Amino acid sequence: MSKTSVFYDRFERHSHGEGLKGHATHYCPGCGHGLAHKYLADAIDELGIQDRTVAVSPVGCSVFLYYYFDVGNTQAAHGRAPVVALGHKFANPESVVISYQGDGDLASIGLAETVATAQLGAPITVIFINNAIYGMTGGQMAPTTLMGQTSTTSPAGRNEYNGQPLKMAELIAGLDGPVYVERVALYDAKQRIKAKKAIQKAIKLQVEGRGYSFIEVLAECPTHLKMNPEDTEKWVKECMEPVYPLGVKKDLTVDPWFKRNAPCFKGEKILSLAGATSEHPERFCKGFPTHLALNDISLKLAGSGGDGAQTAAMLIARAAISEGFDATHIPSYGPESRGGTSYADVHVAEDEVLNPGSPDPQVLIAFNAPSLAKFGPTVRKGGFIIYDSSVVTDAPALDPSIKLFPVPFTGIATDLGKAVVKNIVALGALQAATNIFPKDTMLTAIRVALKDKCALIPLNEEAFAWGIKSVEALAK
Amino acid sequence: MALKERPKPFLLPEYCKGCGRCLDACAKDCITLSDQINSMTGLVPVELDLTNCNACGLCMDACPEPYGLRPAHEGEIQDFELEDPAKIFGVRPSEAPEPVDIPSEVMPLPSTEPLVIKGTYASALGALLAGCRHVYGYPITPSTEGAELMAKFLPKLDGTFIQAVSEVATVNMMYGTAGAGLPTMTFTSSPGFSLMLEGVSYMIGAELPGVFVNVMRGGPGLGNIAPEQADIKLACHGLGHGNTRALVLAPSTPQEMLDLTMLAFELTFKYRNPVILLGDGYLGQMTGKVQLPDTMIKPGIPKWAVYGDAMHRRNVITSIFLTESDLEAHNVHLNAKYEAMQVEARAETYLCDDAEVVLIACNTPARTAKGAVQELRHQGIKAGLFRPITLWPFPVEDLKAAIHGAQRLVVVEASAGQLEDEVRLALSKAGVRQFPEIESVRRMGGVLPQQNEIMTRVLGRKEVLA
Repeated sequence: MSKTSVFYDRFERHSHGEGLKGHATHYCPGCGHGLAHKYLADAIDELGIQDRTVAVSPVGCSVFLYYYFDVGNTQAAHGRAPVVALGHKFANPESVVISYQGDGDLASIGLAETVATAQLGAPITVIFINNAIYGMTGGQMAPTTLMGQTSTTSPAGRNEYNGQPLKMAELIAGLDGPVYVERVALYDAKQRIKAKKAIQKAIKLQVEGRGYSFIEVLAECPTHLKMNPEDTEKWVKECMEPVYPLGVKKDLTVDPWFKRNAPCFKGEKILSLAGATSEHPERFCKGFPTHLALNDISLKLAGSGGDGAQTAAMLIARAAISEGFDATHIPSYGPESRGGTSYADVHVAEDEVLNPGSPDPQVLIAFNAPSLAKFGPTVRKGGFIIYDSSVVTDAPALDPSIKLFPVPFTGIATDLGKAVVKNIVALGALQAATNIFPKDTMLTAIRVALKDKCALIPLNEEAFAWGIKSVEALAK
Repeated sequence: MALKERPKPFLLPEYCKGCGRCLDACAKDCITLSDQINSMTGLVPVELDLTNCNACGLCMDACPEPYGLRPAHEGEIQDFELEDPAKIFGVRPSEAPEPVDIPSEVMPLPSTEPLVIKGTYASALGALLAGCRHVYGYPITPSTEGAELMAKFLPKLDGTFIQAVSEVATVNMMYGTAGAGLPTMTFTSSPGFSLMLEGVSYMIGAELPGVFVNVMRGGPGLGNIAPEQADIKLACHGLGHGNTRALVLAPSTPQEMLDLTMLAFELTFKYRNPVILLGDGYLGQMTGKVQLPDTMIKPGIPKWAVYGDAMHRRNVITSIFLTESDLEAHNVHLNAKYEAMQVEARAETYLCDDAEVVLIACNTPARTAKGAVQELRHQGIKAGLFRPITLWPFPVEDLKAAIHGAQRLVVVEASAGQLEDEVRLALSKAGVRQFPEIESVRRMGGVLPQQNEIMTRVLGRKEVLA
């Protein structure tokens, strides 16, 4: 039975509800939208879900869906209704969200959103009105326009240069996400009953949290097909239906699965995720290492991806901040995910780092020859260069004021049984070469970083100690 | 079983468009097309003769108009079983007749030691502490780590992170969540921001809150993944089509990535308008010291949010105003809001009181410029720094005060003059006609201005002035 309680008592949003517009839709005589609206309203009413329904109006003739439905209403940009629906669904999981769209909106400009949302499979309901023509813009070709069908942008009839009509129900049914896909029509009483049932079922599946459903409705557009309503119904039956066969395209039996807990707003939980702690870090520094710079030390660590330059840089920054200084670390990588260049700019400042880049560092840690060749010449006079002598055999000629520390990072790490700790060897060498912080500062930073992998702490401590020893051996 | 009496149809002719769908639907030939044009509609309606009507109801199912063929009286027929939604989701929060704001709660946060984290992480934590539990995004360097952190943390907070099919989908998921009145945000970088602008225009039109963190990279086109500041014009003057404005915040440290993200959420709800956080590639990637705040937010639900319940059904989220006078009124309303946003203008000034040379910079270049100011002061030059924290609205009153005694203005930026354009426009609109010639230190393509370049520019002209 037709009921109207889900429709507004008066269409106030339709030209402020003046005159007949308060009770008549803006659709042309014979248009399929009105019927789809009514079956949707019936379904909402019969399922008793008006107070949790949110309808997303598309762009197209049904842009004014929200004139008529007394439910939560959101109007979306062209083609974006399904993702707007998703955005609402996740914000309000108990809602029943209907994305109501035409063929230009759903099958052309919003194709990516349509397919991605269907495949995501979250329970929303998409009602797709396919009338094989653009209505609102005035009779242009739709992605679903039939071959040979004339439109204002296929005046000689759609031909191979316009491509083939898109069969959305079959396309969507071919995806894994949806649970129910059916194509229905409106051209006679039998089809209308099926259409009504399909829409109701599609919404029921959502209400019960079972999944995404998609109903394609072959609808009439007498105005732009330039036919009377009766002939348009005939055209849908005789011309559209052979291209767009009616019926259920997919119907899975799925247990209700969509359930979302209310979000958590516990501060302690966020702090724990962030690794924030109220424990004061142990401090070992008596003051800023002014023997290196008055208030800002600039370092560069350079190597290939996998050398651990970024981790070492991060440990230096953390060590500095645990001592109450400011520090920054900027990583820069080549485009490769592995094996490309990997540089880190680090600054340690007494108050505030002002220049986070290190174009002319005081300290360079180079993990390979190209890094040493590239950045060695940029190191300031009187600066420090610590490099992996396992892989760099010939150091380039540099300013004589620069102190060079060849340390076999890789050799030591390999001897320790884990090549990945070569960056910790490098940190030990940095410690001995520059005495940037007390030894315990860096060791504490290493231990804190490994607090979830305690078993690795002794190995890293040993690597650090070997780095120190190697530099001390150089001095002898 | 007693037969239920089924209702027969009735029709007010002015609600009939004469499509004739009911003619076929009726097997008893009760319905005919009239031969009279209805004077109210100019259409030819159908006429009913219900002598043979057996109340099958097919004509009413065939009528597309909500107020067309209707049952003479309503009946309730339920022939299926439905899971009670309340069993799945619990009872609805409220059935109150008038929508009212459910205010946000400010909750204390235990004090902690500073974190050492990336700018994008700091921003993500800021969003979580501001109550955001719905994040959508599409990976793009150098902003991706923000999305990655959200993907890791949000499931543990029963929040939502969805990697969208594109930036276009991202912003529209935000539109959906924002329509429900909840905080939402995304991380993106320049090319992705371009794609989002359609949705930003819709959000502004529909008055929806949302925070966009744009970690700017080198452009145009695919450009590169190194830092630039070349989206200032886009954020300040090009937010999609139409009369659009949004508050644009420009952090300069990882700490500000957190602080200004939290501020962005406050402002986006205050004005029901998106807020753009413009960082540069360095800020996104840079690790630094970040102190967490001592309070966090549990968001409420604003009264304008759209839900299906009777209280909120009166609301609508839309940006379409078909009647010209309605759309003009809407724009007047938006303009009033943009005007009200002027009070949010903020800036940092550093040693500007007696400055003869005022450097103007934002984001990471502002840090570098601050270093240059210190060095210039060291060398006896009275230099100062003006750092706009909001780029729109531009803090022109602060700027006027900062450059009061200046003989030279030097804009330091990683773009071809987009910040300088903002400075000139702000001064011009404020009616400031007299100001020193603007000099510039500009780098592009992913290179930030360095302190020595600023020094060279300032010192290079010292002799000329002397």
